[in-house]
Amino acid sequence: MTAPAADGTGEHTPPSLIARCGGIEFRNPVLTASGTFGYGKEFAVLFPLASLGGMVTKGISPNPRFGNPAPRICETASGMLNSIGLENVGLAGFEAEKLPFLRSCGTKVLVNFFGTNFDEYVECGRRLGWMDGVDGLEMNVSCPNIKAGGIEFGRDPRVLGELVRACRNVIEKPLWVKLTPNTSDIVALARACAENGADAVSVINTITGMAIDARTRRPRLATVMGGLSGPAIKPVALRMVYQIHRAGIGIPICGIGGIQSGLDAVEFFLAGATTVQVGTQNFIDPASSERVVREVEEFCRQNGISDVCELVGALEIQR
Amino acid sequence: MRYFDARIIENRALGNGYFSLRLGGCDSLAASRPGQFIMLRGDWGRDPLLPRPMSLLSVAPEGRADMLGRSVGRGTKLLEAALPGTRVSVLGPLGNGFPDPDPATLDLLVAGGVGMPPLFMQAEHAARRGLVDRCEMMYGGRTSRDLVLLGEMRALGLAPHLSTEDGSVGRRGRVTAALEARIEHHRTANPSHKLRIMACGPREMLWAVARIAEPYAIECHLSVEEQMACGIGVCLGCAIPARSRPFRYACSDGPVFLASDLVIPPAPGHANGGTP
Repeated sequence: MTAPAADGTGEHTPPSLIARCGGIEFRNPVLTASGTFGYGKEFAVLFPLASLGGMVTKGISPNPRFGNPAPRICETASGMLNSIGLENVGLAGFEAEKLPFLRSCGTKVLVNFFGTNFDEYVECGRRLGWMDGVDGLEMNVSCPNIKAGGIEFGRDPRVLGELVRACRNVIEKPLWVKLTPNTSDIVALARACAENGADAVSVINTITGMAIDARTRRPRLATVMGGLSGPAIKPVALRMVYQIHRAGIGIPICGIGGIQSGLDAVEFFLAGATTVQVGTQNFIDPASSERVVREVEEFCRQNGISDVCELVGALEIQR
Repeated sequence: MRYFDARIIENRALGNGYFSLRLGGCDSLAASRPGQFIMLRGDWGRDPLLPRPMSLLSVAPEGRADMLGRSVGRGTKLLEAALPGTRVSVLGPLGNGFPDPDPATLDLLVAGGVGMPPLFMQAEHAARRGLVDRCEMMYGGRTSRDLVLLGEMRALGLAPHLSTEDGSVGRRGRVTAALEARIEHHRTANPSHKLRIMACGPREMLWAVARIAEPYAIECHLSVEEQMACGIGVCLGCAIPARSRPFRYACSDGPVFLASDLVIPPAPGHANGGTP
């Protein structure tokens, strides 16, 4: 509970927002999600990044990628679809052009990474793991595995486990895995990560979807299908966080999916997330992640919570 | 670039779905360049979700910013119906903008439909510098009801060359035909004049403008419109094929591009059309 101030002023000490998640201690539990926050610099002119718990960079691959043809995005009911195509500057471009800023940005930096085969994942993770200024890595396993007919690496618990193990063996820094929700058994995927050395799971990536223009009879995205994000997916994300937490896989969860406010974040904590990432909301309100931090703190104050960790998994279910 | 709250102080219906919005509290847009834009969103809850990119029509030092909209989707319909006093959030100014007016150059401003605002603002900038005679406006639409704010244009000292596809006002045909006619006129009447083109409008119009400019080797600046979520180069949604690299971004590299840096598709039904 909230402790009275030692100086006898009657003021209460501020709640502790410190969150320990997946081998990293964050100043608060609010991070920004990969692909929605660039490489940080774009937002640093709007608010101090040091106000955040951390940020996750755009996904990095060994070589630069130029992405998909337009249209790449499309608004849907309370959400949006994207098929950017994992465009990024590549490892060397990241180290030369983006990392110098990130080293001094004042917040924890996780680098999201991926490859198109096992060797690329391992090489990319290994090299990023050596870079000064990288606090941790987040594996994006929602990429098509060409060898397996284009199915995402992250959909098969066995393949996912092997991939996580292979990367774990070469990465000393904290290693998180961002799970795809396009599965019938999210717990099996999370468990495969935990059993093969991952430090945390980020839950969830976008949900595969599509949109059609009835008048032109054409898909609204050039690639036909894309990833759905935004408040539309929050109930699915909460459910998956809850299922993984309830299964007790032994590693923490970073909740992602449609978080727009501090209350949304608190819902994820209650479902079992230790930290959260703000994603699509960064497009709608570029200062939203900083606001979410303030609102989480305000929620704690108003509800007599002295440590945000008290909320994690504190969902009360009437039986 | 700033992110701030503003208020609608005037919302004027111009017919045929067009409306002009005047915002107050936009002091940080005062130094905006013609061609720059803002991301604008009302208190819409969760749907529609994304802010709308809106070109600036005019800015004034007292924090006033004007925009021209046309209600085509849910966001623009909400803006069309918004009452004075409505709070909106604004991110801007964004993007690069058109080059400055130049006393030694005659700028041919080519506006198609709701793509008119940045060219109006360019003309306004020229007028403020006493250079309005160094620009010439060509403004086209489907019908006379697609040509708006003509009084405001004339008040700047412009005599816009109007064209409509149905011939209801001005020259019958597309604005690109008017552009070709004006280029030919200037090449005959004033062969020593340096011409420059600035255009904004539907994608097909922009490509046609680029194809017209190319054989004359006229410097051609196109302001493109593309779906975007963030406006600041983060979502990477607004990719357009370019020559200097595979894609450039309408929001952060543009929205104004030299036509020579874009991949201009060949004219429809013309196997060898387009710029090389």
